[in-house]
Amino acid sequence: MLEVKNLHCSYGTNKVLKGIDFRVDQGEVIAVLGSSGSGKTTLLRCISFLESADSGTIRFGDFEKDITKVKRSEIRALRMKIGYVFQNFNLFRNMTVRQNVLEGLVTARKMDKKEANAIADEMLGKVGMLHRADYYPEQLSGGQQQRVAIARSIAFRPDVILFDEPTSALDPELTREVLNTIAKLASEGVTMVVVTHEMSFARNVANRVIFMENGVVVEDAPAKEFFENPKEEATRRFLRTVIEEAAVKPGQTPETESSK
Amino acid sequence: MSTRILEILISSLPKLLLYCVKVTIPLTVCIYAISLVLALILALVQVLNIRGLKQFVRFYVWLFRGTPLIVQMYIIFFGLPSLGITLSAFPSAVIAFSLNYAAYMSETIRASIESVPKGQVEAGYMIGLNYFQIMTRIVLPQAAKVAFPTLFGSLIGLTKDSSLAASITVVEMFKVAQQIASANFEPFALYCEVAFVYLMLNTILSALQSYLEKKMTWKTKN
Repeated sequence: MLEVKNLHCSYGTNKVLKGIDFRVDQGEVIAVLGSSGSGKTTLLRCISFLESADSGTIRFGDFEKDITKVKRSEIRALRMKIGYVFQNFNLFRNMTVRQNVLEGLVTARKMDKKEANAIADEMLGKVGMLHRADYYPEQLSGGQQQRVAIARSIAFRPDVILFDEPTSALDPELTREVLNTIAKLASEGVTMVVVTHEMSFARNVANRVIFMENGVVVEDAPAKEFFENPKEEATRRFLRTVIEEAAVKPGQTPETESSK
Repeated sequence: MSTRILEILISSLPKLLLYCVKVTIPLTVCIYAISLVLALILALVQVLNIRGLKQFVRFYVWLFRGTPLIVQMYIIFFGLPSLGITLSAFPSAVIAFSLNYAAYMSETIRASIESVPKGQVEAGYMIGLNYFQIMTRIVLPQAAKVAFPTLFGSLIGLTKDSSLAASITVVEMFKVAQQIASANFEPFALYCEVAFVYLMLNTILSALQSYLEKKMTWKTKN
């Protein structure tokens, strides 16, 4: 359904993506793993045109084109079919929870207000935030904000939802509530790509795992195979580090460099 | 306080208030309205990065912030007639003040627009909004909240600065106070009185500001 080929992207002289081939099929839940700086987020941002790629092709359904030559109107049409959940939620601060969800329906898609309200209720119910519909984002916890952000992007029923480290800004408790929400969507057959550091989520919810390192895809395998029988040495090294880090007892400082 | 001074204060107050309502307030409102519109245009030119125009705006801001307001007024009222452009006092004051205040206020507005996090714009794009919708529905409302206290501060500053128009013969409240003071030789009493009127005017404005700021919050009441 969505595919990029030979995708290159750089910030100035710093090459971040060095020829990525990436494909999502209908109904797939893909976890993208890799250490910080491996290019996971940039991949999602290039696919959504939040970052302009240097070269590559993009295919979305029947639409296929050189990614550097996609016109502004085509970008907007593509974005209408892509949901995006940001690390920092990015809820519109001047709008209530309900207005945040309605905005994409009423303003962007010119949907009838009544119809849109019914959808907003349904989506907010789905993420367990209907009781906060009239609150403003700053009155909510991070986990609640992220659940609203998820409701906002599923409201217009996109063909695929891209999650950019949806729980990285949250503490473990809130992480769990957000991951449960995402897992619930996955079980309903929503197609999604989740950039994450949550191994148990990747293992239990994703059906395919992509491991990235230094701007290339190192391993692309079904989730079970990825964790139980990784082919690449780099993947094994990465999984070992992650397991060691998880094993560090509270109060101890991990030897490996912690992120941020 | 002697009864004579008290009598002067009481008898001059209605005249001061009359000119406050008749000239000072209309002058202030006129200037503020014009400079607000102009400032918004100047700020948007910069934010939208319109080529050519942007350099012009930077030049404009540099020129009008870098020279004294009173000198700008003198150039327009006393200077332009020698080029064949003669304007009466009130419009001269309005033009000079508006050009000057627009330069300052455009910077306030520009900074407030730039203070809106980029993520807000990106989120707007990703739910399918176009740039115009993002600006009008997300960025500008958030920027307005940031800019509001500073822009309101400009209004308070302007009510006081409007007294400078007296120097180019606009008969506003301060000019009237000057006239009364020179007629009865009580400058101390008269200038204190006119200061008090300005103070009361701005007390009302400050109260209005707090009220409006409370209304602009993004919180539900419970």
